[in-house]
Amino acid sequence: MRIVKLPKERFSELFEALKSWGEVHAPVKVGRFYSFKRVESLGEFTLSYTRTMIPPKKYFVKPFEDILKVHVEKGYEPIVEESKRIVLLGVHACDINALRILDGVYMDEIPDHYYASRRSNSMIVGVSCEPDEYCFCKSVGADYAWTGFDLFLHDIGDSYLIRVGGSKGESIVAELTGVVEEPTSIDYVKLRDYELKRSRMFRRSLNASYLPEVVDSLYGSELWAKYSDKCLGCGSCNLVCPTCRCYDVTESLDLNMVEGVRSRRWDSCFLRSHALVAGGLNFRPTRLDRFKHRYNCKSSIDQRTGMLFCVGCGRCTVFCPAGIDHLEVLNSIWGLR
Amino acid sequence: MAENPCLPKLARIVDIVEMTPIEKLFRLEFVDEEDAKAFNFKPGQFVEVSVFGVGEAPISICKSPTRPGPLEILVRRVGRVTNALHRLKPGDLVGLRGPYGNGFPMERMKGFDILLVAGGLGMAPLRSVLQYAIDRRDEYGEAILLYGVRSYQEALFKERVIELIEKPEAARFKTFLAYERDDPVFDKLREKHPENVRKGVVTVLFECADPYIKPEKMCAVICGPPIMYRFVLKELVKRNFKPDRIYMTLERRMKCGIGKCGHCVVGGATSIKYVCKDGPVFTYSDVLSTRGLV
Repeated sequence: MRIVKLPKERFSELFEALKSWGEVHAPVKVGRFYSFKRVESLGEFTLSYTRTMIPPKKYFVKPFEDILKVHVEKGYEPIVEESKRIVLLGVHACDINALRILDGVYMDEIPDHYYASRRSNSMIVGVSCEPDEYCFCKSVGADYAWTGFDLFLHDIGDSYLIRVGGSKGESIVAELTGVVEEPTSIDYVKLRDYELKRSRMFRRSLNASYLPEVVDSLYGSELWAKYSDKCLGCGSCNLVCPTCRCYDVTESLDLNMVEGVRSRRWDSCFLRSHALVAGGLNFRPTRLDRFKHRYNCKSSIDQRTGMLFCVGCGRCTVFCPAGIDHLEVLNSIWGLR
Repeated sequence: MAENPCLPKLARIVDIVEMTPIEKLFRLEFVDEEDAKAFNFKPGQFVEVSVFGVGEAPISICKSPTRPGPLEILVRRVGRVTNALHRLKPGDLVGLRGPYGNGFPMERMKGFDILLVAGGLGMAPLRSVLQYAIDRRDEYGEAILLYGVRSYQEALFKERVIELIEKPEAARFKTFLAYERDDPVFDKLREKHPENVRKGVVTVLFECADPYIKPEKMCAVICGPPIMYRFVLKELVKRNFKPDRIYMTLERRMKCGIGKCGHCVVGGATSIKYVCKDGPVFTYSDVLSTRGLV
């Protein structure tokens, strides 16, 4: 992978190049939290942020979208949205790794058209970050993005070292001829120092080795109930999780009762209906069943990327209204505290 | 990119047979010949059936690919979509996606004896295996069907089942029937064929079939209500069936059929599976290694 250096004072030139490629969306502070939003100018967003509430998945797996038009006599036809290019600027390594996991699911041997077309019209620009008290991406190996981005900006103080991930990234760098420089060995020492400093900042950890086996094996632990009893079953953790991707499908007719749409929307495995089949049988009838299901799902390995389905972003803990701490649950089931 | 997997193809209902007060057999034909040609299925696979303006439901295919003619699905009226489907008439259009799922390994079962165990509506997917085995009778050894129903009224394909009991040599299928509620037709059948027909649940039939059950060269194929599996598996394990020669097809909530929507996910952290894609046919080995499969 090629690497170039961009002095921070010339960042605006990168920003303009990205803007000329497509709509730029970057982390914007909204109230107490950050959110990826469309930005037009440098002052609207920041690249030093902890985490957005809703992960970048919202651009590819839409929270709610109409996928088919239906006519009661003629049947279905696909809804094709106007394709538009989107640059996600300032994506953290954990979220990039989460997108790789989603890519594997939605662009497998039966690719999802809606996801795949948005994905091919997107550019991912990563940025290095510093962990807060909820981050544990390092424990699960998601603190570094090996792949899955077009450009990745590493902060080394007065400059960014930019890893160039593919042809889209190259096309941007090509526009910055004369702006970007060849890095020197001093830059790489700064990069190493930054990474060392960052890796010492992690305050929380999860023992990811053996995690699938241990969580599965201790399925019968009574400690699960201690946490599931606190759980409100609201599904917030699913909404903010960058790898949660379950969707529900609904169909509705307009008032004319002739035409309508088939839609899909984010679903949650914490809702009672998630495993409920017609006739009333529920394969995960209790909140405890559903609680354990989510923790097992998140503690399993994605066969395509070889990564844990949890990327350690900390969102589920930060945004749980009942104060359930994902790490505390797993560590306590394990018997580590 | 290949075609949009979310888009149902148009199919016409060519025939509807009322099987029971709550179950109908639908015969369907694709409107577009290209769609019909591209539709190659295996016994045990399923389709997503759409009723326009109502929604979509996963339904197993109820016939063997060895039989020409329209696609057959057997639908119990139990939810919103299946109730709407029951209101449709011959000539009406529906949407079809699929076939999905792995299906039964008919190739791998070649040369083995086959034991089919069906409970109630479980007969629907197993009918595809039954027909397949009858049509390629020489490729398989002994064939046995154990069918358990609650009552005569609820029995599916009863004329055919009775025929198999009365004339076993025709299809070279040994057929056994268990029923729970008294009924003149079945009672008479039981008097005539006490070796083949019993009162009780499907597991009482193992005793009748035991002389013909040879686990060392037999594959078992099971489908029935979720509660049935545990009891049937117990009987099979008792008889030393090899875990990887016990096949069963499972039900779950399925919205997409292609391993994306996540509703049918089963298993613990070491054994996560999508029933729609990795199944719906699983072996008893899978059951032993996958938490919560049955």
